[in-house]
Amino acid sequence: MRMYFRELKAGIKSLLIWTVVIALLIILAVNKFAAFEGNPESLAILDTMPPQLLEALSMRAFNLTTLEGFFGVMFIYFALMGAMAAALWSSEAIAKEERDRTVEFTLVLPVPRRQIVTAKLLAALTNCALFVLFTWLISVITVRGDAPEKSLFDFLRLEMLAMFLIELVFLSLGALLACASKTPRRVGSMAIGLILGLYFISIFAGMHVKLTWLKYLTPFSWFNASEFFSSGRFEPYALVLTVITVVLFLFAAYFTYDRRDLYI
Amino acid sequence: MNKAIYRYELRQRWSSVGIWAGSLAGLLLLFMALFPSFSADMAAMNQVLDNFPPEFKAAFGLNSLNLATLEGYFGFCFVFCQLCLAIQAANYGLSLVSVEEDDLTADFLLTRPLSRPTILTSKLVAALSSLLVTQILFWAVSLASIAMFKGDAQYEPRAVMLLFGSGVIFHLIFFSLGLLISLLVRRMHSVTPWSLGLAFGAYVISAFSGILGDVKLEYLSPFKHFDPGKIISEMQYDTTLVVVDAALVIIAIAASYWLYQRRDIASPS
Repeated sequence: MRMYFRELKAGIKSLLIWTVVIALLIILAVNKFAAFEGNPESLAILDTMPPQLLEALSMRAFNLTTLEGFFGVMFIYFALMGAMAAALWSSEAIAKEERDRTVEFTLVLPVPRRQIVTAKLLAALTNCALFVLFTWLISVITVRGDAPEKSLFDFLRLEMLAMFLIELVFLSLGALLACASKTPRRVGSMAIGLILGLYFISIFAGMHVKLTWLKYLTPFSWFNASEFFSSGRFEPYALVLTVITVVLFLFAAYFTYDRRDLYI
Repeated sequence: MNKAIYRYELRQRWSSVGIWAGSLAGLLLLFMALFPSFSADMAAMNQVLDNFPPEFKAAFGLNSLNLATLEGYFGFCFVFCQLCLAIQAANYGLSLVSVEEDDLTADFLLTRPLSRPTILTSKLVAALSSLLVTQILFWAVSLASIAMFKGDAQYEPRAVMLLFGSGVIFHLIFFSLGLLISLLVRRMHSVTPWSLGLAFGAYVISAFSGILGDVKLEYLSPFKHFDPGKIISEMQYDTTLVVVDAALVIIAIAASYWLYQRRDIASPS
């Protein structure tokens, strides 16, 4: 418990910075939306663009003159930021002990290793949940002035749930990387590299019919804003894959950390 | 400039350069492999597009990026490469001197009979050489992948060269900004969040304006200064912005020398 609170305290600054950044992003974007709203002829051109391009930019199926459509386009940025924040939080929590040479101190405390990992991951999870809640709150506050309909809030709820699930996947991925890696300094870069790679794969998956199978590889495609916008729910395969990857990564993380040789 | 430091730094970066160049190559090859099937669809849509007034096309950045042409498609892919280049350069700049303090090797290095500017210069030149090697590999792969997948499409070599040039300026901007930031903060434990914030922040700012038209704030982002679409359609850089960027690089590096000379070095205690 004490470790959990210590980790929480250590992560507060980072959480604040991420929240400020996403707040700026949302405010900036909603301001842009004001220019778009009620200008339907600017959308006529979207119908002429090839579906691949729209799909690649995840702009298909969205009507940009409505707030729903607008937040649909924004989703990929939420997802990316959530993924990065989650992966960095979980990997940092574990790798920083070795980087700052405090790992010997922490591990000689009369606490099993897996309990330490649990405390750290719970703190990171709390951060993730708070991050989603803040994003939600800021979105709701910024759209207040536009007198939105109820359907927008339903869609937002779905979007935030998807963001949280993506965070879970990358939280466990970051944990696994930090637990398994022999070079703590590299862990952050590795996580970011993987996230970028997966993001690019999700772009490829949308670009060509022959490549749609790629969507099973990346969480950014599992939760495709245009899909759950039109259907109002997540694909079952996405939920199954999320559960499987999270359990698998976490299991591997605990397993490797319990028997690894530490970098001192 | 000290040869021993230079060589050591280069050796330290070998594998990192390899990984970056490798992933850039993979990304490009994947993208370019899609070009043949993509260009066929695009030609038809360009005919439709020609009927629209230019203002409409400008709003979506489509007047500048013609995806049916090879350079247009390459420009579309190039944005993602720019992002990778920016992260790499920011990483190198941020860790250039901060890594010594974090590894507690700074006091060892700084007690060598060398002045701090000499040490900084050697490290700087080494990092810039690794960035240059990345660039050269990147150019080679780009040209190879263009040659492989272009089919019978014609393209403007000058446009591609201009894009390559913008990559170099990108490296310099993010490298020098990273270096400056690392010297402005007291202690940098982890480089990744900083480099991410720098590179991704700039990317997102400019990506937004690409989708949704014009707001002046976007001129903060180097991605906007070297928008591939604009470079390809105008066949030149925006001179004012290039001068501003060059000034930025020079000031950041000069300020870094000044700050490093006066820096209070964290040592093991």
